[in-house]
Amino acid sequence: MSRLEAKKPSLCKSEPLTSERVRATLCVLKGILTSSYGPSGRLKQVHSGFGGCVCTTSQSSALLSNLPVTHPILKILTTSMQNHVSCFRDCGLFTAILCCNLIENVQRTGLTPTTVTKLNQHLLSLCTSYLKSESCGCRILVDFSSPQTLLCLVRSIVTSKPACMLTREERDHLSALILRAFLLTIPENTKDRLILGNSIIVPLKGQRVLDSSVLPGILIEMSEIQLMKILPIKKSEAFKVALFCASLSGDLSDTGEGTMVVTYGVSLENAVLEQLLSLGRQLVSDHVDLVVCQKVIHPSLKQFLSMHRVIAIDRVGVALMEPLSKVTATICSLLLCNRNDTAWDELKLTCQTALHVLQLTIKEPCVLLGGGCTETHLAAYIRHKTCNEPESILKDDGCTQTELQLSTEAFCSALESVAGSLEHDGGEVLTDMKYGHFWSAHAEAPSIVNWPDLLSRCGCGLYNSQEELHWSFLKSTRHPFVPQTYLPHEATGSADNLTLDCFTAKLSGLQVAVETANLILDLSYVIEDKN
Amino acid sequence: MSRGGPRKPGLRPPGPCRPREEGRLSPGNSFPEALTSQLPPPAPPLPPPGPPPSGGCLLPPALRAMAATGSVEAALQVAEALETIVSRCLGPEGRQVLCTKPTGEVLLSRDGGRLLGALHLEHPAARLVVAYVSSHLRKTGDGAKTFVVFLCHLLRGLHAMTDGEQDSLASKHMQTHRRHWKNCCRWKLISQFLLTFQTHRLDYIVDHYLSRHFGSIFSSSTKERTLCRSSLESLLAAYFGGRVGRNNRDFMSRLTCDYFFKCMARERGSEEVLDLVDDYFVELSVGVTGLPVSDSRITPGLVLPRDFSVYRPADGDIRIVIVTETVQPLFSTSGSEFILRSEAQFQTSRFWIMERTKAIMKHLQSQNVKLLLSSVKQPDSVIYYSGLAGISVVECLSPEEVSLIRRITGLSPLALPHASSQDEICNTVLVKFCKPLTFRSKRYVHLGVISTSSFIPHCVVLCGPVQGLVEQHRDALHGAFKMLRQLLKDLDLNYLIQTSDQNHTSSPLVYNESDPLPEVVNGSIQRPRQDTVLRNKSKPAKTQTYSDLVVPSVELETCIIPCSAPKVTPTGTYQTDETLRCFSPTKTRINGDNEPFIESNSANSTENTRREISYENLQITKIPGKGNLLPVREKTLEICAAQGHCFSTIPAGCVLPVGGNFEILLHYYLLHYAKKCQQSEETMVSMIIANALLGVPKILYKSKKGNCSFPQIYVRTLHALQTHQPMVSSQTGLESVAGKYQLLTSVLQCLTKILTIDLVINIKRQPQEIYDQDSEEEV
Repeated sequence: MSRLEAKKPSLCKSEPLTSERVRATLCVLKGILTSSYGPSGRLKQVHSGFGGCVCTTSQSSALLSNLPVTHPILKILTTSMQNHVSCFRDCGLFTAILCCNLIENVQRTGLTPTTVTKLNQHLLSLCTSYLKSESCGCRILVDFSSPQTLLCLVRSIVTSKPACMLTREERDHLSALILRAFLLTIPENTKDRLILGNSIIVPLKGQRVLDSSVLPGILIEMSEIQLMKILPIKKSEAFKVALFCASLSGDLSDTGEGTMVVTYGVSLENAVLEQLLSLGRQLVSDHVDLVVCQKVIHPSLKQFLSMHRVIAIDRVGVALMEPLSKVTATICSLLLCNRNDTAWDELKLTCQTALHVLQLTIKEPCVLLGGGCTETHLAAYIRHKTCNEPESILKDDGCTQTELQLSTEAFCSALESVAGSLEHDGGEVLTDMKYGHFWSAHAEAPSIVNWPDLLSRCGCGLYNSQEELHWSFLKSTRHPFVPQTYLPHEATGSADNLTLDCFTAKLSGLQVAVETANLILDLSYVIEDKN
Repeated sequence: MSRGGPRKPGLRPPGPCRPREEGRLSPGNSFPEALTSQLPPPAPPLPPPGPPPSGGCLLPPALRAMAATGSVEAALQVAEALETIVSRCLGPEGRQVLCTKPTGEVLLSRDGGRLLGALHLEHPAARLVVAYVSSHLRKTGDGAKTFVVFLCHLLRGLHAMTDGEQDSLASKHMQTHRRHWKNCCRWKLISQFLLTFQTHRLDYIVDHYLSRHFGSIFSSSTKERTLCRSSLESLLAAYFGGRVGRNNRDFMSRLTCDYFFKCMARERGSEEVLDLVDDYFVELSVGVTGLPVSDSRITPGLVLPRDFSVYRPADGDIRIVIVTETVQPLFSTSGSEFILRSEAQFQTSRFWIMERTKAIMKHLQSQNVKLLLSSVKQPDSVIYYSGLAGISVVECLSPEEVSLIRRITGLSPLALPHASSQDEICNTVLVKFCKPLTFRSKRYVHLGVISTSSFIPHCVVLCGPVQGLVEQHRDALHGAFKMLRQLLKDLDLNYLIQTSDQNHTSSPLVYNESDPLPEVVNGSIQRPRQDTVLRNKSKPAKTQTYSDLVVPSVELETCIIPCSAPKVTPTGTYQTDETLRCFSPTKTRINGDNEPFIESNSANSTENTRREISYENLQITKIPGKGNLLPVREKTLEICAAQGHCFSTIPAGCVLPVGGNFEILLHYYLLHYAKKCQQSEETMVSMIIANALLGVPKILYKSKKGNCSFPQIYVRTLHALQTHQPMVSSQTGLESVAGKYQLLTSVLQCLTKILTIDLVINIKRQPQEIYDQDSEEEV
């Protein structure tokens, strides 16, 4: 049918990024994101005047899904980040902050969008190929023979979520639990393909975090009365379970397109119920102990079963059906405790993130140095690369050396400011001139300081300040230098208190951030359909 | 008469958008005023445009005048406003546009067609343009932005040309409506010239002059007609340069090229593959958001966007069946009645139904069927029994998916009433694998179907950070296959030959009225041939001499005179059976099979072998032999000598380097042609078209400086043409000649339509569905 109402013409804006309003909104968004970043990030309380729960968080997934964004450009940015988070669950804030930084820095350079997107793409491919290369100085291969690296990874994730409100002891306890839960989902004897099991997070709100625990198998909630009935389980032999995905409520199935004529006095309901009861009799005679049904069980059948001391549980829902149906596979339940609802929600998100990151790490067995060190190291590498070998980039693109320099500066300082956002307490942020790692100092430092005394360890915890190192402020300009590539083996093996990041998530986050920034910078018009 | 050169920007009428301005495309705002539904006010004072008089056919002269003067001037203003928007997205340096939908979705696009659609224009002229653009896009899949730019320049040229005249005409004594009448006549006349030019002259110029510069997408080194990969890559790179973001261009063109070659079983099956990919592109592509674009890839087999209802892993031979109805028998089918007399009967029936379902699934199992594809939702019992029988089930396939699988494998749906009989089921095929596939926690069914045709099934997985970008890439990829599909078809050209007898063509208008205009269509339509068809291309003036003769090849060879350029060779000299189908018994035919004549210096064997005529980088190859499956590739030229009609083609796979080459070349030859024209109208029309053609290269080279600026390129190209030197292109990449040519004709048709409209009647009525022709009489 043709439209009944004439459509309103659209609103067309040219050069949307130059608009003051867009810049201001982008700046606000960036402010929200940077202030939440990292272990010492500030919490955000999101609440709606119309009611509902108050959400206290510093995680990108919760923040981005709750922020009301109307401008199309911001919408692109936030959707992009949300999509990344729903894929990888980690590095959401990193991606979003980097993207905002890039947009802001590039606009300051005044280069044409075409040039910038071309060069950004080149710089990105430099980054990705370096991160994937053998010589990468910020990547550690995971040694599965010891749990140390994986534990560090989990602890880094748990630590970076301050809204969980955990003490150091609780963090350690929870990290170990998460890792154990994950290990329980790995089947013991795998053939050629590894199929991981599930870990189900069971809420136990109002209890101490230290009471959280992991159990192999599945927990199904049931009322106390039901429990009392079966509690003295005297049987020593196997416990028989019958699992139904079809409804046992006695509704009539599809009878076809034609008509059905029922003679007076014939009751279909009775007929169906009779069938259900004969099913019940069969179950009893088969010595089934537990009947689980995804949908509803007819009350008569339920009563019949309970009379014969068969436990019937219905409406378990589709989410539980999958792990139940492959109960032979590896499943565990993670009983998660926390003091209140808000903190529990945050903790649950954190656990899901950590479990997912562990899965990703199994697929791609390496991790990146965290705590801002990867960012500064990468920036140092890119600076050095474009300064010493600009030909490889310039030869096919027709850009000038100056354009490359400006663009590199924008790109690298965007990376460095992501690392700088980790410091929230007004301290100094520095980088060393040997490894290119990230260091931060306390705010109350005296004006003239002896850096080795003030700084103890770099962001990731790999290097000590007592080495002969030179530092430079992140904001200041410095000569390009070659950051030390090839991590020393002993450094990776022995270190048990490193801050680590998920390789897959961070790499993809880097790519998505640059791609999204390029996309937004390349916009020439915004056409808004006002219908 | 002033020659219609493009006007300088400073002379533009006020109104069209300036950069960095915000506004609504609606009445009452400064932003593109031209796009509002109210027509721009012409010189004489006018009453405000109101609703038309109800029911009256007679309109006040003032309104008529307003509408009419609007038709070219308003169209120009509209076109200029559209041009400013579109030109910033044109070419490799073009940028992206973000479109939001009322639903809140955001879409990124550089697709001209989509942009024009998203604007929801109100102005009648704009809507006319948009309608023409979209019909052009449906045909060719590319060229919307160039369309607008070209149209705008044509209108500018026409406007500039008539500017001077208008002053003399607009004497104060002349009444408004008389002037309007005069204008209408002139525009109508001009549009007729344009139409005549497009249908009779343009093809001649393309065929005679432009064709010598064509390159081919096919590789020349082998005997078979094979697609040259590097040419295809540069063609696609140029295409994607105008459709996706600058940084994804190379990646997307490589992906498309890989996909195309992976899908093609044999070198010769490219047409079939392209048809299939174009028709089923939605089913053959999967979009994944949240991943970087560089994660996009090609997977063998088909990917169905749903999960298994039952999955039973299977190895080895996996046999599949398709069903289009529920496997479980129903109580009653449509139109029948099921009478239930007792509860026992009901239970027996249900029991029987279950047993029957079980039997069917058992039978399928015995036939080694491992996978059941169903276009409908199956009852729980079917799912249950198929699980027991070790058969995986995928439900709710869309009709398109079923049709795609049927087309690839030749599998037809299972007829269920017979399925449980003891006979073997013949409606099964084997698949290589059948397994679940997960992209970002969404599950898909991955099916390794085995093809019986020349299409090897592959799916393309498109990743991107946001849905809008994935959609853009999906559209661009689909458009690329549309474009390739067009490119690999011959495009018919036909024109009136200009004989030495000038009377013949002296009056195109007379001809125009006496004969229905032959439409320029693509190669699929056979034309009735009324006269002898001569299949060689020789000097036009001599055509009639040969018309009724079987000319011995020796004689022909002596007769062929090369065209003006020294190295140009007449090409393609015989026809395959297909083009000869319509011959009437009285017609004679020159059999070129055994005595092909060739005018090149090459020492090729000319007997039943592929002939290769090389001219610079021009490759025209052909394979003789009857019954060949290949479509006509060589240039066939048919001349209906009596009327001077000439039929020819732009052969499949013709390309030119990008960067405005087509435009500058055609510009040059049109100027060349204009000089030789005796008629002033023809000169004028070809001048206007020639100058308008430069609009696109001007935009393409706008950002370039120094040696690569437009004037430099233009002068260099023209010099090369005059001295017969090979042309050098500063840009790598190729574009389809047929696409450009079709674009040109579409624009000219649109322009003639605009020029012939004398009145725009503004009605305020809800759009109504037209049931029959009665509704038109109401108006």
